[in-house]
Amino acid sequence: MEELKKTAKEALEALKKEGADRAKCDVGESVTHEFNVDGGNFSLFRTLFDRHLILTAIKDGKKGTVRQNRYDAETVKEAAKSCLETAASAQADEAWDIAPLTENRDFEDGVPTPDLDRLFFRCKELMEDIGKRFPKVLMEQMIVSHTEEKSVHANTNGVLFSRRQGEYRVSLMFSAHEGEKTSSFFGSDFVTDSLEKPFLSCGSVKKDLSDAEKQIETVGVNGKFEGVMILTPSCLTEFLYYTLENFAGEGALLSGTSPWKGKIGEKVASEELTLSVNPFDPRIVGGERVTSDGFPAENYDLIRDGVLLNFMASLYGEKKLGVKRAPNSSGNFVLRPGDKSLEELIASVEKGILVGRFSGGEPSSNGDFSGVAKNSFLIEKGKLAGALSETMISGNLADMLKRISGISDTPVVNGDTALPYVAFEGITVSGK
Amino acid sequence: MTDCLLTEKKALFSDGANTELRLQRNRNRRVSFLNGNPVGNVRTETKGVSARVYADGVYGFASMAEDSCEAVESVLRAASENAAFLSRHAGRGKGMLPPLAPGKLDTALALNDVEQRRYIEYAKEVDEYIKKTYPDLLSRSVVLSADSIEKQIVVSNGTDSCSSLPRSYVYLFLTGETKDGRPVELFDVVGGFGTFDVNFKSPADCFPTVDKLYRRLREKCEGVYPEAGEKTVILGGILSGMLAHEAVGHTVEADLVLAGSVAAHSLGKRVASEKITMVDFAHTALGERVPLPIYSDDEGTPATDAMLIQEGILTGYMNSRETAEHFGMTPTGNARAFLFSDEPLIRMRNTAILPGSDKLEEMIASVEDGYYFLDTNNGQADTTGEFMFGVTGGYEIKKGKLGRAILDTTISGVAFEMLKTVDMVSDRMVWASSGMCGKKQPMPVGMGGPALRCRVTVGGR
Repeated sequence: MEELKKTAKEALEALKKEGADRAKCDVGESVTHEFNVDGGNFSLFRTLFDRHLILTAIKDGKKGTVRQNRYDAETVKEAAKSCLETAASAQADEAWDIAPLTENRDFEDGVPTPDLDRLFFRCKELMEDIGKRFPKVLMEQMIVSHTEEKSVHANTNGVLFSRRQGEYRVSLMFSAHEGEKTSSFFGSDFVTDSLEKPFLSCGSVKKDLSDAEKQIETVGVNGKFEGVMILTPSCLTEFLYYTLENFAGEGALLSGTSPWKGKIGEKVASEELTLSVNPFDPRIVGGERVTSDGFPAENYDLIRDGVLLNFMASLYGEKKLGVKRAPNSSGNFVLRPGDKSLEELIASVEKGILVGRFSGGEPSSNGDFSGVAKNSFLIEKGKLAGALSETMISGNLADMLKRISGISDTPVVNGDTALPYVAFEGITVSGK
Repeated sequence: MTDCLLTEKKALFSDGANTELRLQRNRNRRVSFLNGNPVGNVRTETKGVSARVYADGVYGFASMAEDSCEAVESVLRAASENAAFLSRHAGRGKGMLPPLAPGKLDTALALNDVEQRRYIEYAKEVDEYIKKTYPDLLSRSVVLSADSIEKQIVVSNGTDSCSSLPRSYVYLFLTGETKDGRPVELFDVVGGFGTFDVNFKSPADCFPTVDKLYRRLREKCEGVYPEAGEKTVILGGILSGMLAHEAVGHTVEADLVLAGSVAAHSLGKRVASEKITMVDFAHTALGERVPLPIYSDDEGTPATDAMLIQEGILTGYMNSRETAEHFGMTPTGNARAFLFSDEPLIRMRNTAILPGSDKLEEMIASVEDGYYFLDTNNGQADTTGEFMFGVTGGYEIKKGKLGRAILDTTISGVAFEMLKTVDMVSDRMVWASSGMCGKKQPMPVGMGGPALRCRVTVGGR
């Protein structure tokens, strides 16, 4: 780590020597070990030794950034020169800035050193468990990795953070088959710092595999209806990204297309909704410790009791738009659970749909969305009434948040997020 | 990059295993303006070496962000150790892959690394033109992106190669407002194969595209939501190319066939109307260079065209050397890796539906009540062939004539069912190459097609 700190300091000196008024440097190295299963068979074991060097310089209000995957002395020198050349040709904008010095810290968390034999054992055990308990499931691809990363962030205001961190990531893609009949492909992912538990009991793996087997036989929707949509936690993550990018993201604010512009302190969602971004939540693995701007990361509430409290703005957004900078730049969403079990949530729906995956176009900036409901079930009179095929859903993201009809009481924790099932009213469901 | 470094290291390849050694550099230069604000100004470069070893039916791989002799030796050693680890725990008792004839191919171009200043000046001038000419826009964005992949590959047997794949594009995003104040977007892209200095001589070259985009955006601001349900539509070439890539192409990648795609049960069967022929082109199509030409892949297989659907019959898959052996097919050079630290995967190159003999005007005139869909911002498909495309631009067709513009919608269907409904195919095709295909790794790909008359489910609202 001392070598990385030394490199960062030398890079900042080189940037200043080239004429930077302010500058920052991210430098680091990582080792990744990864096992792959393809088409049900172990296929690949790979080891990646990687490095990164990201230099940003601001001179006369002009900013330039250079990224390299090496940090030897010669590369640092050349990158600093290139960075200033890039900045010199840019357009000035006084909103560019770097973080002030607050409190420098060294972080170490997770599991920096992998236990590869144990990791492979857990992979093999998962494949065997699936073969025994979910015999119709074919593992299209399984990617299981451990990454150890050492990184340093420093800037010319004296900011200097370091971090050593390691985590295991598991990503599964699978489908279920019976003769020539097949389910849609489905995915399940989680991140963990422990190999104590079998992978089958992590995240939502067991339920996702079980659902895939139930999705071989499908029914269609006749015509269209307006009903309730319950999103699984993994599908909710996708909808949250769409919503926040279009309404609370810096791009939407800068372009002026966000319908939430100027609505801090106003109600934008049902009172049941409290959405936080919490990298320090103990259930989150490898959460952000330093923001992309170089501030110490902190948890924050984006929406509390339906009221918008923050945008997802950077330091640039703060200076450019006069909005408050977000206290972290992660996607570690934590949503306050409700008071119903998933079964009670389903039982409360007269007609609707439980959506496991959304295959849709990028929603419009006004929040209109439409797409295919994949890995989804029809709900009729409070009961699941079969897996669906060729079924489309459409609605508006802003309207949806104001029409939450229920939130489940137990969040699914996958190491990146802790989210429950959420039910939304007023969704159009249409078949062929 | 010089080639002496890798060729000398062939002596270190293990007997009884297939080894690939690759030195690679990826560059990206990107400049973004949003409403005149310079929100992006980045130069990125990654470079390194990797080795992959195939033994006993499993692969070991290692990469390092260096290009020294020591790094080459380290990755060869680590890849062999990884293959041995996996062989011990999950070996499949297989021998070497069927050998390929030795060869050497150098198609690398001398790429000019354009100064960042030129990207910025160009983007600024295009942005200022938009601001000055169309002040009523809600927002505007101009993004310039130039990327390149340079590879040097040596293999145990097959073709050793040096190659380069440069692309450069200007992306234009315009946003207007409907009468009730809702934002409406439309985007277009200019550019293709080649470095920025070759493709873009003057900012004024982009102005006609800006003007056309603005006109269509105004129409879209007055537009209507399409009616939901199954409709007769004309899919423009951009959408039929997307269909070829997303809904059919992925299902006939042999690794996804082994993973249970719908094409596993369809080889030799009718999957489309007899008007549909679909090919994954390597470097030349219909006598011209394709958008992103590939001459040899990362496993040392010389690149040739892969015939996928011939007059409606599914005739082949896209393969790696390993899957080609499994299916008893001939590999056509589809194994490609994105970064030096990525292993080769089966990827499409330039996938297209071939043009037919119908005139677009006659196709539109033949539709009583339907839509002409032109633009898309997104496409996804399942291994079952069920697809969904976001449609961002198009027109109603009423009694054989184009009507009002449409607002954003989604179309969906099942590829091998929908393709059987194609009854007219236009005589002109359109290529696109500005996007990235995602499949564990990103990858630049080309896709193309003519206009198709067919039945699809429209999402509506």
